[in-house]
Amino acid sequence: MIQRIIREFRKYKIAYLFLLPTVLGMLTMHVGPIAQGIWMAFLDLNQFTINQYLSAPFIGFENFYNVLLNPDSPVRIGVFEATRNTIIYAIIVTLGTLSLGMIVALMVNRQFFGKRLIRTLFLFPWVVPTYVTGILWGFMWQRGVGIINIILVDILHLMPDKPFWLIGPNTLWAIIIPTIWRYWPFSMLLLLAGMQSIPEELYEAADIDGASPWRKFWSITFPLLTPVWAVLILFGMIYNVYSFNIVIMMFGFGAGFPGEWGDLLMTNIFRNSFMQWNFGAGAAASVVLMLCMIFMVNIWFYFYRRAEKRL
Amino acid sequence: MSLSYYKRKRINDVVISTIMLIILVFTLFPIVWMIYSSLKENTDILVGKIPLSHAKNDIKIMQLEGETLWIGTADGGINRFNKQSFKKEQNVCIETASTSFNFDGKEVWIGSANRGLSRVFKDNLKEKKDFDLKLGNYDRAKVVGTALARNRQFVWFSMQYKGFEKVIEFNTETEKIHRVFNLKNDLYSPQQIQSILYDGELLWVGTDKTLIKYNLVKDRIQNIYSIIGHLPLGVETLKKFDDRLILAGKVGAFVFSPQKERFEQKIISGQVDSVDVAAGRIALGNNTGFVEYFPDGGTFKRHEDLFRPMSSHAEIIEDGELVPAEVSAVVQNGKYVYAGSSYGRISKYSIEKDEVIATSGAAKGRLVVSFVNYLDMWRNIDFGLYLKNSFLICGAAMVFSMIFATLAAYALARFDFPGSKLFSVTILATQMVPGIMFLIPIYSMFVKFTETTGIPFKGTYYGIIFVYSAFFIPFSIWILRGFFAAIPRELEEAATIDGCSPIQVFWYIVLPLAVPGIIATGIWTFLSTWDELIFAWVLTSAETMTIPVGIRNFVGNYQNRFDLMMAAAVVATVPVMIIFFLLQKYIVKGLTAGAVKG
Repeated sequence: MIQRIIREFRKYKIAYLFLLPTVLGMLTMHVGPIAQGIWMAFLDLNQFTINQYLSAPFIGFENFYNVLLNPDSPVRIGVFEATRNTIIYAIIVTLGTLSLGMIVALMVNRQFFGKRLIRTLFLFPWVVPTYVTGILWGFMWQRGVGIINIILVDILHLMPDKPFWLIGPNTLWAIIIPTIWRYWPFSMLLLLAGMQSIPEELYEAADIDGASPWRKFWSITFPLLTPVWAVLILFGMIYNVYSFNIVIMMFGFGAGFPGEWGDLLMTNIFRNSFMQWNFGAGAAASVVLMLCMIFMVNIWFYFYRRAEKRL
Repeated sequence: MSLSYYKRKRINDVVISTIMLIILVFTLFPIVWMIYSSLKENTDILVGKIPLSHAKNDIKIMQLEGETLWIGTADGGINRFNKQSFKKEQNVCIETASTSFNFDGKEVWIGSANRGLSRVFKDNLKEKKDFDLKLGNYDRAKVVGTALARNRQFVWFSMQYKGFEKVIEFNTETEKIHRVFNLKNDLYSPQQIQSILYDGELLWVGTDKTLIKYNLVKDRIQNIYSIIGHLPLGVETLKKFDDRLILAGKVGAFVFSPQKERFEQKIISGQVDSVDVAAGRIALGNNTGFVEYFPDGGTFKRHEDLFRPMSSHAEIIEDGELVPAEVSAVVQNGKYVYAGSSYGRISKYSIEKDEVIATSGAAKGRLVVSFVNYLDMWRNIDFGLYLKNSFLICGAAMVFSMIFATLAAYALARFDFPGSKLFSVTILATQMVPGIMFLIPIYSMFVKFTETTGIPFKGTYYGIIFVYSAFFIPFSIWILRGFFAAIPRELEEAATIDGCSPIQVFWYIVLPLAVPGIIATGIWTFLSTWDELIFAWVLTSAETMTIPVGIRNFVGNYQNRFDLMMAAAVVATVPVMIIFFLLQKYIVKGLTAGAVKG
């Protein structure tokens, strides 16, 4: 047994050597902190016990109870709204980036003058840092001085009154649209690359059969792009559920509260736990979120495998 | 009607291209708007004004010379008007800020905060020359105004700026600074110099606290008179009237007698913006019109509502826009009085008819592009430091994570070693953990590490570089693995047969082929670290702060300064945008190849 391990190790010496620094880094910066974070979720860790850190009083599942069930707990304020917002936000943003990316990728995937330049220009929002996206759109959504209201009301007269975008239910749109704006070029880039790797013969054959462009898209392009959009859905899901920068910078420019309709889980956890020095509860909430995410990703893998088999 | 296949295709193409361009416009609009807003004045942003504004051409001075009416405006505009027809004959703008004029003699002398002293010849208004007054370091945005006086040989210049308590004497013949008078004194400093008047061998200097009598011959301050009891906000206008002086400011106008060395009498209460002295009467421009004052009888005649709210081109300005109508320049000419106000509005007033008989406007100011916002922002926050820190931290993190991720990705793509599955799963699993969860553990680890070893970790460059490098390795591996998998195995086998060691194979065969992918992933890492806010927030100190943290602090302090905020946003975006634009070929090629195949 031990000899086998040593033999294997010798055989793959170079691989292990190459992996060594990464493994060390990940142990200290990923595995270690995650283990500590999970442990923290069971501790009464706040401003009084932070000095003891990992030897703070063990309180079992009380943090989880506070975060999930205890109606009187301060860490639970707004969790329901935040969850609702996060679900709507993640779904709309993921699908929005994907569909917009797909539409524009189809448009760019033709022969025309200035193709490369236009593709590059389309990618520009993706380079804008997310905190800048938050500041910029936070400025554009301003009720009185924001350009969006100026265009909608003062120029186009679409509405009688200037609406509030950063207060009330509109807030959800105020955070969804900038996020789509920031991320869709990336979807477009990947989908475009995927499209360019689809053999041209397939389309020629479809042309001979007299297929409409619509039919060609649903029967050739879309199925063959499955690996791309599936990956985009996976990462869209992860990134959007954990979205933080855009929202935190948009409201009060890093100092405010996003409100009932703009609060996401990350900002909620950050505000309720970390800014109140209630680290145990924050860790518990993160752990719950992480478990949900692992569950979701597993569902994704299940469907992905099935789709892969079909291909 | 049936169209041919090609025709239909063409129409289709045009339609799709149009839609694409519309989407492109919508996509780029926020970025364009960000840059545009950063060049606007905040006051314009706050009233929701979209176009750039013109420089304020408020009338500063009006002076008659024969048939000509000279008008100087705040943006450095010199207008020559015909006195009779009240039409503009010629104008020139020398783009100054906080301007003061002197129209005596053959030249126009202009003092300003940004150019120092400038000279324009009156006959053609063309030859312009700037003279450096060696004003030294000062915050140009805080200069409220300048003051100018001259005689045949000298020009005296000073700035309305706290702490600038000197008058510069400039010799117009030798074109050199002749003397600099220091007006600092223990009792009243710091003062703001607001007006200067030349009077024979004396120079009268009005400040916000005193009236200073400076003797030019003896080159010393002869006397200082406190004005606090009379003009608590300062002497904004200083005019000579017979052997007395008229001092005017925000609270009224007074007669000061140099012989008796005291205030003789109060002419009028309330704001007085301009004074003109003519034989037998004095005109005092105030915030509605002007007041005629007859010193002999001590009687007044008020002429009000000279300026309705209207623009420089005599259009009525729309409701809601605040337009001050104070008469900031007034000059009398027999039965007419010429008055000037804000927005370059001027009017000719007939005293007999008691009404405005003609209006006109000085030339419009140039469009204002406020690059000043960037300077202001740079001055308010230590952006140079943040920029340096961000480049250093993100660059180092990129290099380290690329080195290690390349090695790991190669190992993962080439060798099916025991534990490779587990490792792949771990890589993906790390992406599923909310970043917030790492925060406290990493912070405590930093603190504990420093407690046990004594090596500082929090707030150091290597600390945050270590965190970033380790943090972005997993995803980099995930992208790079696809690259290495795409490199044909046969190449490596051939090299091995030729006698290359595994390290040599990696170094000479695989690595060169993977360079585009490594560059792409590196840029991706750089962009991600450039974007990172929370860890930098917690783990950096004032010296190692990166741009996002700096901007967050800055933006929190300047909630209503959208211009500065957008300037900060532009400065944070432009470096990455330039990098992206230069290297986009690699990014497009690399990321697509890696991610699609992975």
